[in-house]
Amino acid sequence: MQFVAQTERMTAAPVAGRRRWSRDAVGVILIVAAGVAGYFLFPDSLALLTRIIAVALLVLSLDLIVGYCGVASLGQATLFGAGAYAAGIACVNGVTEPLTLIAIGAVAGAAAGLVMGAIMLRAHGLAQLVLSIAIVQLAHEAANKASAYTGGSDGLAGLFVGPLFGVFEFDLWGQTAYLFGLSLLVAVFIILKFVVSSPFGMLCRGIKEDPIRIRAMGAFVFPVLLKMFVISGAVAGTGGALAAISTQVVGLDSVSFELSANALVMLVLGGLGTLYGALIGTVIFMGFEHVVSAINPFHWMTMVGALLIAVVLAAPGGLSDLLDQISAGKKRNSGGRP
Amino acid sequence: MKATKTLLGVAIGALLMGSVSAMAETVKVGIIGPFSGPFALQGKNFQAGVEAYMALNGKSVEGNDIEVIYRDLPTANPAQARALAQELVVKDKVQYLGGVYFTPDAMAITPLLKQANTPLVIFNAATSAIMNTSPLVARTSFTTAQTTTPLGQVAFDDGVKMAITVVSDYGPGIDAENAFKKAFEAAGGEVVETIRMPMNTTDFSPIMQRVKDSGAGGLFAFLPSGPPTLGFVKAYNETGLKQGNIKFFAPGDLTQESDLPALGEAAEGLRTSFHYSVSHDSPENTKFVEAAGKAIGNPEQLSFPAVGAYDGMHLIYKMIEAADGKQDAQKAIDAVKGLSWTSPRGPVTIDPETRHITQNIYLREVAKGPDGKYYNKKIKTFPNQKDPGLATQ
Amino acid sequence: MQTILSIATDAFAYGMALFIICIGLSLTMGLMRVVNLAHGAFAMIAGYIASYAARDLGMGYGVAIFLAIIGTIIISIPLERLLYRRIYGSPELTQVLMTIGITFCVIGITNYFFGPTLKTIPLPEALAEPVDLGFRTIAAHRLFVMACGVAVAFGLWYLIERTTFGTKVRATVDNAAMTDALGVRTQVIYAVSFAIAVGLAAFGGVVAAEFLPIEPYYALRYMVIFLVVVSVGGAGSILGAIAACLVLGAVDTSGRYLMPEFGNFFFYAAVIVIVFMFPRGFFGRAQ
Repeated sequence: MQFVAQTERMTAAPVAGRRRWSRDAVGVILIVAAGVAGYFLFPDSLALLTRIIAVALLVLSLDLIVGYCGVASLGQATLFGAGAYAAGIACVNGVTEPLTLIAIGAVAGAAAGLVMGAIMLRAHGLAQLVLSIAIVQLAHEAANKASAYTGGSDGLAGLFVGPLFGVFEFDLWGQTAYLFGLSLLVAVFIILKFVVSSPFGMLCRGIKEDPIRIRAMGAFVFPVLLKMFVISGAVAGTGGALAAISTQVVGLDSVSFELSANALVMLVLGGLGTLYGALIGTVIFMGFEHVVSAINPFHWMTMVGALLIAVVLAAPGGLSDLLDQISAGKKRNSGGRP
Repeated sequence: MKATKTLLGVAIGALLMGSVSAMAETVKVGIIGPFSGPFALQGKNFQAGVEAYMALNGKSVEGNDIEVIYRDLPTANPAQARALAQELVVKDKVQYLGGVYFTPDAMAITPLLKQANTPLVIFNAATSAIMNTSPLVARTSFTTAQTTTPLGQVAFDDGVKMAITVVSDYGPGIDAENAFKKAFEAAGGEVVETIRMPMNTTDFSPIMQRVKDSGAGGLFAFLPSGPPTLGFVKAYNETGLKQGNIKFFAPGDLTQESDLPALGEAAEGLRTSFHYSVSHDSPENTKFVEAAGKAIGNPEQLSFPAVGAYDGMHLIYKMIEAADGKQDAQKAIDAVKGLSWTSPRGPVTIDPETRHITQNIYLREVAKGPDGKYYNKKIKTFPNQKDPGLATQ
Repeated sequence: MQTILSIATDAFAYGMALFIICIGLSLTMGLMRVVNLAHGAFAMIAGYIASYAARDLGMGYGVAIFLAIIGTIIISIPLERLLYRRIYGSPELTQVLMTIGITFCVIGITNYFFGPTLKTIPLPEALAEPVDLGFRTIAAHRLFVMACGVAVAFGLWYLIERTTFGTKVRATVDNAAMTDALGVRTQVIYAVSFAIAVGLAAFGGVVAAEFLPIEPYYALRYMVIFLVVVSVGGAGSILGAIAACLVLGAVDTSGRYLMPEFGNFFFYAAVIVIVFMFPRGFFGRAQ
């Protein structure tokens, strides 16, 4: 897995023109290969792998606004939850076709992204972070209150999702859910690669680096960032809908501060602003958590904490950055004040 | 790279070992519970109950060795619950699932049971509706409606004509509010006001002030067991409600034994209704408390989830016996329908219709024992209570 | 009138309890520019020490508080040397990752050594009694918390605005390299400021334990509220932190009295409104 990641990160290094495209193609192929390898290596843990994919979509969506726009958010689960609940409620009311449910989730996530972006982009820095916390807490409270629609704290149960293309059932073994999720992830990833390397994506990066200069160039900052928020919402909503379909239950945890904070931790762990980092961070964090919590269900939290500290000490820029530096043969610059 | 290889090796090794032990006629039981995080104490009680049962009744049933696998699910998280259950069934090849502290987690697992050909014995999750979601579920805990309902009559008989309810604003809290209101009004009383407070409330003074202003003579409260109960009970005393003679009634979650050392004097005299008290006086319970106390390390941490787990293991043992070590969920669940036995909590029966446990509910009062420690002293028994939540559906 | 007074008293007590814990975080975030999410973990460690000293060793309340503060600072010294020193000046998100990691470790270790149960810190007789204020009765420890809050605010203001040490801290914050060049040992300034912040967390953790009870999950459970209070007040500002604690305490308390069902809505809606009106917090420094 790490080997895969390493090669992927190399492709993400800013290389000009056609070579970048070919490297991205290799990156995508490696993701597919890793996904298929997961299918054959861990055929008994597909539900876990599907959950990782759903969360990976959330972390990818977070990377769009944190890594590419410089907007820190501790409330990204609002968008994930919007997608999950929209798909869940639609499913309970008789829409059972999985692709339609994903579309519903994406639209709901995008709508939530529009609202959330419109609020959050009014502030900067710490205030922005606090706004995102306030929004996710309000959304959580709203989902708890609207128990007639959301099931409240008991969760929205009784989702009976129809077979994919009318053939493949979402069953106990979870092959359908996993392969469906993997295809979704790859499709979303390819689209996002195009988005972030488009002029629009470059503009976002520019805003992240220096909003004043971009404004001086005559571009409007707010609508650009808002557009990215909507895209991010659609991606997070897709993840939420995938979680709803594969779990067949939507719980309040899908709009929680905890999930938002975890997503941010995974993103920073993997590295910001490459999209690959989001995937690496999610896989490493959730995989590690799963392994240590199975070994010692009582005291695994210490191990996860130690992992995070170790990563900061060894690779302040995230795992993908570390891999990048190793592959580039650069010397690591030690921590400390610059 | 190296780490990945090692990991892979471990995983493959685990897979191989899984298949080897399956050949040795070992019956595996997967227990899902909150073993870390904010509810770690309840998970620890699950483990203590399971270990106590296995210590007292042996680790095998008719030649079938029993192996328990614990999986951690720290907070309500249905997606993870499903992933864990799926992995336990498919990868670890467990024949029985048990545990589950939160309702949404149970809701996520029940749809899998039929395909998995695996029964689920719920040790805690206390919402009535879970039982309707699969015929392969049995439950050895309680429902909030079950433990709350007797309080309506108790409060009325105690001279309370007007009561106010204060509950945490989430599923079980609302269940408790409805159950109390129904029972209290049926007895002839009137609920003058219902307050639902957010889960993360830490300062309860303003709420107590409101209780005081409502003019009610009795306060019915429901909070999930855990840290906030301390603040709640203290606020009840400090705002002068206790001295002001506003009577306090609550289901036993509020005064669970593991919280009593912390609540201490503040809780003295509080009356709660519950299905189990650690202080229950019976030979079965003495044996249980000794074994479970040893398993948990510090007997002061023993609380109600342990007895749910203990009786849950009893059901699983009976199921293994009936299915003769084979995987046959239907046969297993049929074997425990209508099963009666004497649990540490008193006489119990698995209702053949609902597969929920029928049991005594006790009215208790927090009192100081001769050893200076606080305990729930039994003052009245309501025998053979079914789950009113299911009966009305 | 009686009701209003009564709510105001509760709000003030709650606000002061928050203030004592949060002011340390405000200093680390505002003066040292470290987003220390492990702040609550230090408050929790102090609570455990105080509980152990007072309950198990039978020491007095005052002694327990003192031991808790000293003990927590001693524990924090190696952490500062080995871990925090590496993230001074790092991007905020890196700091978040590191301090969340520390929080996880502290939670795991406390759970291992002390078990998952609630710990209480027994109050002395004088603080445990209810006191009659005329319009209502209130627990004496609430009055004690209010007094502590006021004392902390004054002490800190004096330290930062009126002493040489305070001048050096402010200089280091404004321009560390220049201050270094002027012969101030900024490393020491950072270390001492960190110790003060931890000491305040410890003090707050102990005296506010009646509001926020001590248990292993403390560090994560109240992380959000601490972060919100500091940001609303404006990181680094004592006055801002007081204002934020009082306003948020008032909103929270009156929300819970008037409409408990929508208590959380009130609180977070207020946060959003305040952030819109004061994007840098009440008294935040211009960046």
